[in-house]
Amino acid sequence: MTVRGGFVTELGDLKEEVMMLGSLVQRSLADTMKAIDKNNYSLMEDIIEHDKVLNELELEINERATLMIAKQQPVASDLRRIIVSLKVSSDLERMGDLAVDMAKAAQRLTRSDACTNHVEALLELATKAEYMLQEVLKAYKKRDMLSAQRIAAMDDEVDRAYGQFVKGIFKITVSNEKDTQQITQLAFISRYIERIADYCTNIAEWIIYEVNGKRFDLN
Amino acid sequence: MTAFQTAVKENKKKSPVVQENINKEESIFSAKGLNLWYGNDQALKDINLDIRKNGVTAIIGPSGCGKSTFLKTLNRMVELVPIVKTSGAIDYHGVNIFDPSVNLVELRSSVGMVFQKPNPFPKSIFDNVAFGPRVHGVKKKAELKEIVEKSLRGSGLWDEVKDRLGESAMGLSGGQQQRLCIARCLAVEPEVILMDEPTSALDPKSTLKVEELIQELKKDYSIVIVTHNMQQAARISDKTAFFLNGEVVEYDNTDTIFSNPQDKRTEDYITGRFG
Repeated sequence: MTVRGGFVTELGDLKEEVMMLGSLVQRSLADTMKAIDKNNYSLMEDIIEHDKVLNELELEINERATLMIAKQQPVASDLRRIIVSLKVSSDLERMGDLAVDMAKAAQRLTRSDACTNHVEALLELATKAEYMLQEVLKAYKKRDMLSAQRIAAMDDEVDRAYGQFVKGIFKITVSNEKDTQQITQLAFISRYIERIADYCTNIAEWIIYEVNGKRFDLN
Repeated sequence: MTAFQTAVKENKKKSPVVQENINKEESIFSAKGLNLWYGNDQALKDINLDIRKNGVTAIIGPSGCGKSTFLKTLNRMVELVPIVKTSGAIDYHGVNIFDPSVNLVELRSSVGMVFQKPNPFPKSIFDNVAFGPRVHGVKKKAELKEIVEKSLRGSGLWDEVKDRLGESAMGLSGGQQQRLCIARCLAVEPEVILMDEPTSALDPKSTLKVEELIQELKKDYSIVIVTHNMQQAARISDKTAFFLNGEVVEYDNTDTIFSNPQDKRTEDYITGRFG
């Protein structure tokens, strides 16, 4: 294989690895929501434990990208692809951390009525963010700028839904300190979901940068 | 002031149009509709390119794209090939260098050149550097000494050779020889230095030294460099021109060329897809 051909293959492998990290994050998020829904403590533990794998994979991507830069001295679109894979993988890893934060917060939920009444709305909010993640990964794979812009626009929707959710949980009259703690944890979790949507928007911006070298603030 | 500059100054007095052009232009060279043929083969096609003063302009492109030809046209060295024909203009200080009134010796001492392989004369280090000034009539030993030291300091070679100026230049290493050739070029006080792959025959350390030297020299000189080493162009130049088949495909800030070139052919060349 030619040197250039080898490099093209490496670029493809790098993207595959980022996609793999993406699907692991998707799984962590889905598991987190499932654990919250079913109040499944052992699954929460698994998510926290599993984050190590995500972190290691991100380091591996960093390593691979660094070596490619050192050995091939890429420029222009080749360089952008590598830089973007670093950026996207770092955003994905942060999402993984947020899944851990959510699992930890969920462990503190004791499921009083004040809490359970809101779980459904929380899951609905999460569905929107999960959809954004799914779509942005597809767009990254296909280098699809139009989808990236469409996904970024969805962030406003998540922001609105998040605002409504927080208003909703603080509207109820809290009868005791325990309920206050529960509501606070729910507020945290919803905030983390909203952050995940922000990271998806970041990735959408990186897709545009990868394709045409321009930086857009889609937030 | 070099002889050419003096000549230009004289010229300026004569022609107010030229004066106006100089005020307008920030660039040192301005190629306008330049065509060049070797016999029937056209090597340069309608080149329009402004080369900025006091900066490093890199010319890149695959072999046979006309980049060295363009470089050698800037001081009309290309005319050493007998079958060369040109049309169009290259303005230098507002004067077309192809104008019959232009004195070639003055042009070439203003626009110096450094080649791919170091080519010191088989003389002493001192005599190599003093060669140009002697040709231009400098005779006093003290003055020559001063010029030689200044030029060798300018090319970053002084400390390495100051104790053996009388020794043969052929005893220097390749990298030192190349810096000696740069010193020889500086000795005639040029305004522009043309470099045709100046580091392609040097090892990495000597290459680094020459690259650092180029960065130093650009404060006082305008430098045009032809290089096959893409990373070198990216490292040291302010502007980059990409030549292909005798045409300028893209000419822009080096940062733009190497991060987000506008032409697909430039992108393909610098990323190694062809060429």
